[in-house]
Amino acid sequence: MTSPTDIGAALQQDGGEGGAPEPFGLGSSPLRSDALPKALGIYPYAADLWAEGLLWGAVLRSPHPHARIRGIDTSAALALPGVHAVVTAADLPPGPDGLPDGAPAGPIVADRPVLAAGVVRHHGEPVAAVAADHPDTARLAVGLIAVDYEPLEAVTDPEQSFTAPPLHPDGNLFRHLPLRTGDPDAVGEIVVEGLYQVGRQDPAPLGAEAGLAVPRPDGGVELHLSSTDPHGDRDRTATCLGLEPDRVRLVATGVPGATTDREDLSFQVTLALLALRTGRPVKMTLTREESFHTHTSRHPALLRYRHHADAEGTLVKVEAQILLDGGAYADVSAEALAAATAFSVGPYVCPNVFVDAWAVRTNNPPAGRMRGEGALQTCFAYESQLDQLAARVGVDPVEIRRRNAMATGDPLPTGQAVTCPAPVKALLDAVAAEPLPALPVDDPDAEWLLPGGPGGAGDPAAVRRGIGYAVGMVHMLGAEGEDEVSTATVRVSGDHATVICAAVDAGQGFATLARQIVQTVLGVSEVYIAPADSDQSIAGPSARGRHTWVSGGAVERAALMVRHQLLQPIAANFGMSVELLQIADGKITSYDGVLGMPVAEALEGKELWATAQCRPHPTEPLDESGHGDAFVSISFCAMRAVVDVDIELGAVRVVEMTVAQDVGRALNPRQIEDRIEAGVAQGVGLALMEDLQTSGGVLLNPSLTGYRLPTSLDTPEVRIAALLEERDVVATFGAKAVSAVPAVVAPAAVAAAVRAATGLPVGRLPIRAEDAVTV
Amino acid sequence: MLPASLDEAVDALAAAPAAVPVAGATDLMEAVNAGRLRPAALVGLGRITELRGWRYEDGGTAVLGAGLTHARMDRPDFAALIPALADAARTAGPPQVRNVGTLGGNIVTAAPAGDTLPVLTALEATVTLARSGGTREVPVSHLLTGLDPVRPGELLTWVRVPLLHAPQVFLKATGRSGPARATASVALVLDPARRAVRCAVGAVAPVPLRPLEAEAWVAGCIDWDGSREIDPVATAAFGEYVAAACVPDNYGAEGAWEAVTEGPTAAAVRLRRTVSVLARRALGRALK
Ligand SMILES: Cc1cc2nc3c(=O)[nH]c(=O)nc-3n(C[C@H](O)[C@H](O)[C@H](O)COP(=O)(O)OP(=O)(O)OC[C@H]3O[C@@H](n4cnc5c(N)ncnc54)[C@H](O)[C@@H]3O)c2cc1C
Repeated sequence: MTSPTDIGAALQQDGGEGGAPEPFGLGSSPLRSDALPKALGIYPYAADLWAEGLLWGAVLRSPHPHARIRGIDTSAALALPGVHAVVTAADLPPGPDGLPDGAPAGPIVADRPVLAAGVVRHHGEPVAAVAADHPDTARLAVGLIAVDYEPLEAVTDPEQSFTAPPLHPDGNLFRHLPLRTGDPDAVGEIVVEGLYQVGRQDPAPLGAEAGLAVPRPDGGVELHLSSTDPHGDRDRTATCLGLEPDRVRLVATGVPGATTDREDLSFQVTLALLALRTGRPVKMTLTREESFHTHTSRHPALLRYRHHADAEGTLVKVEAQILLDGGAYADVSAEALAAATAFSVGPYVCPNVFVDAWAVRTNNPPAGRMRGEGALQTCFAYESQLDQLAARVGVDPVEIRRRNAMATGDPLPTGQAVTCPAPVKALLDAVAAEPLPALPVDDPDAEWLLPGGPGGAGDPAAVRRGIGYAVGMVHMLGAEGEDEVSTATVRVSGDHATVICAAVDAGQGFATLARQIVQTVLGVSEVYIAPADSDQSIAGPSARGRHTWVSGGAVERAALMVRHQLLQPIAANFGMSVELLQIADGKITSYDGVLGMPVAEALEGKELWATAQCRPHPTEPLDESGHGDAFVSISFCAMRAVVDVDIELGAVRVVEMTVAQDVGRALNPRQIEDRIEAGVAQGVGLALMEDLQTSGGVLLNPSLTGYRLPTSLDTPEVRIAALLEERDVVATFGAKAVSAVPAVVAPAAVAAAVRAATGLPVGRLPIRAEDAVTV
Repeated sequence: MLPASLDEAVDALAAAPAAVPVAGATDLMEAVNAGRLRPAALVGLGRITELRGWRYEDGGTAVLGAGLTHARMDRPDFAALIPALADAARTAGPPQVRNVGTLGGNIVTAAPAGDTLPVLTALEATVTLARSGGTREVPVSHLLTGLDPVRPGELLTWVRVPLLHAPQVFLKATGRSGPARATASVALVLDPARRAVRCAVGAVAPVPLRPLEAEAWVAGCIDWDGSREIDPVATAAFGEYVAAACVPDNYGAEGAWEAVTEGPTAAAVRLRRTVSVLARRALGRALK
């Protein structure tokens, strides 16, 4: 057994190579600063927060996916000793007509009430909340709130949503996006069709929602929780509570790692409301089941595709219908739909593209942001189509992709030219060139890790190996005209520097990166990253891989300004311009090598600081035919999946994933590899097991026993074939976002490999056991 | 309460009838956290060392303590005695859970997917239930079906299992390679002395099911005196036989009447296929 101290020592050694200097600056691979505390179990998560005299919050949730609320009787709950407050929609600021409307809010459209007002639209929707002096009392009180529901028919089939009566005053259609490019009458010699389905993946964050709200003497409130968007969350919370934004302070704390937005709005507004109402700090931690109910999941999708190609397999026309089930509330459905539509053909050139895409409202759990939202669903569909096409043309799957691969300068079907590097062919070639993993035939039987796992029912005689390929793409940063901006301050005093930036490191490694940037620009090795909170300048959400670019850019600029302040007097002293000085290896040197001065000496007794912003070039919304320059940049990835399938039981094990990714520039190679492994794990989970199931809108498996996540035995070996470093000239340091695209591509690659192993069509994700049984 | 002996424990339960026994707490805490259980008091069984081991009884029986952990049952010395139970214990959850989760807890919880249950059913095990002032012996199947449940104030102390000195197998189908609950499981033991094959199917019904006719039929196909060989066709037929016996036509159907005219549901067909493969492989391994 390894003791915690052993792990600590190992980590330290890993970081420092036994006394060798710490990795320094861009291109090196320093360890995340929270890696050690998280591995040792001493990292304080939001659920560990404490304040003197705090009360405990609990939420009452709807047992119905769709119902009218005839009345709520809170008297019994209020009468329970120890209960300090019970709140419902009536305690929130009223709507425009003066009646309670639950203070609806949302990232794009304000349609999701904090607490249901008059009607509940999904199973688990918050209806009321309690603050009490003990968590058990709070939960007991929740049980005493009597809600008179009139169950209504639940619309749970997204195809029925079009004709169903409106489930919300805003109607049932979140967005319809038509894409019309080229000649509708074009036909190809070869036509392949397919119907594809993607289930509901949940982010299932291991740290369930938790937070602490503390009332302020000025009538405001301070929220400590694992927000990944401190300013956005602050503004929305303030609006819902009818407060000025500066009366709400949001401190990002104890972020356990997030692949989506953390902490749904209802949770934080309810928490703040309870604190304001009672005048006491209130803490709330959700149970695992509640967590499944409350945060958004991935959009389930139904995709119908028809590809036309010539006899060689060159694409002539792609037609598609895409339907995303947005669940009860809009959230980011419109944005996910834009990605699904714009990338509906994938990283391929096709002159004629006709797509209709819809995101609709149902009484299913609300869908929202999750790595590669929209892009993932279509990747599975277009890559499945390409496999079919390859089979029809009679070429191998890599060749069909090479024949159609897009390159820099080619247009997306939206008309936007791909101006960033698009090394699709090179990525494919890189994964195809890697050696294949050996079959375990030479190992003793007992050491085979068969599908079904060790001690499982696997039988080598029934196992077939399959190999599949996929390529995919996803945009980075906000799309369709969203204002992208981030601000950062860099301060140097003496021998150390501090970065103040409200960009939350949700596991993507921004804090490590910011440290590396300052090290490189200023030659200072000790860099402290201040915790993020909403009193700092705005940095925007941790999503869409934007912080490397936008916040990284702001940190770089601020650091460069400090550098200028530092070098200017030295340059003046020597009668040369600042440009002729450089900082490297902790030394300031002049171009001719005459001057050499340690950075530490130059900084002695100085306090320098600067604040800067980064705002990438603007984008525009897609128009009524789906055209427009909607994206700032795109990243690409190719994968090869090797799977073993027990064709009698339908059990699948992914043996290996080989990845080649377009990273622009590898700012921290090890961190990139970690992100790729994380994306692969999430993609494998979606491909094989992760599915939040519902029946008539009621969640069936809101637990980690019922909702299966991949374990270490389910996550494959990840082999990095290449991190292609073709700089994206407009991006900060030329680097591309790395986290989302592996998750986008992995499910398609796994599906292709299962298809190869079984000869079955595999049109649905996750792949159920019965979809992989051949006998 | 943390009694140090069995007697203390049963007395404690007699004195506080509302108290709940707790062993590894891997099921109990889940119920408490989910608000399904609010024990007035707990009687911890962890310090009763005698329940953490096993002994032999004449007549070829092993008497297993209810406090045996899954991790302990997975060790080679135990696996040599009752291989199928060791197989089941090996797959009963992640290591953290198997290090504390016990045989007794698994039986009393009686979850449909409890992994030791089909093995104990196939072995026709009996359990000893102790209360202050007396004990009684109950077949595990009676306990599980509710025919003769654990009564308030009773502790499950021992599990009696015959030592068969012959191959036995437990196989489980799950939805992933890492530890997970069974979607179906099959336990199969050979009893050469009685020339019998005993089999139980887990996780497909609230309690493990015994396909008695299939057992009797396949026992007749085995060459018991020779090398215990069997025609592969018979092995496959056994799988089908077991599956048909344990999975009803209307499996998964909303209303039972659907079955009357329409033949097996799609869910029944799928589950039968799985059970059939498991039973066939289990028999194949037992006779290898
Ligand atoms: C993550 C996880 C994964 C799991 N995976 C599996 C799995 O794959 N397969 C599987 O079978 N199980 C699994 N389990 C369930 C559980 O671990 C087992 O059922 C275990 O055997 C329970 O034993 P315990 O000692 O922890 O029981 P406890 O939780 O202590 O007790 C369970 C119940 O039995 C009663 N009880 C316990 N001992 C006695 C006794 N001697 N006399 C009378 N009553 C008693 C308790 O009062 C309680 O009602 C899993 C559990 C978890 C948390």
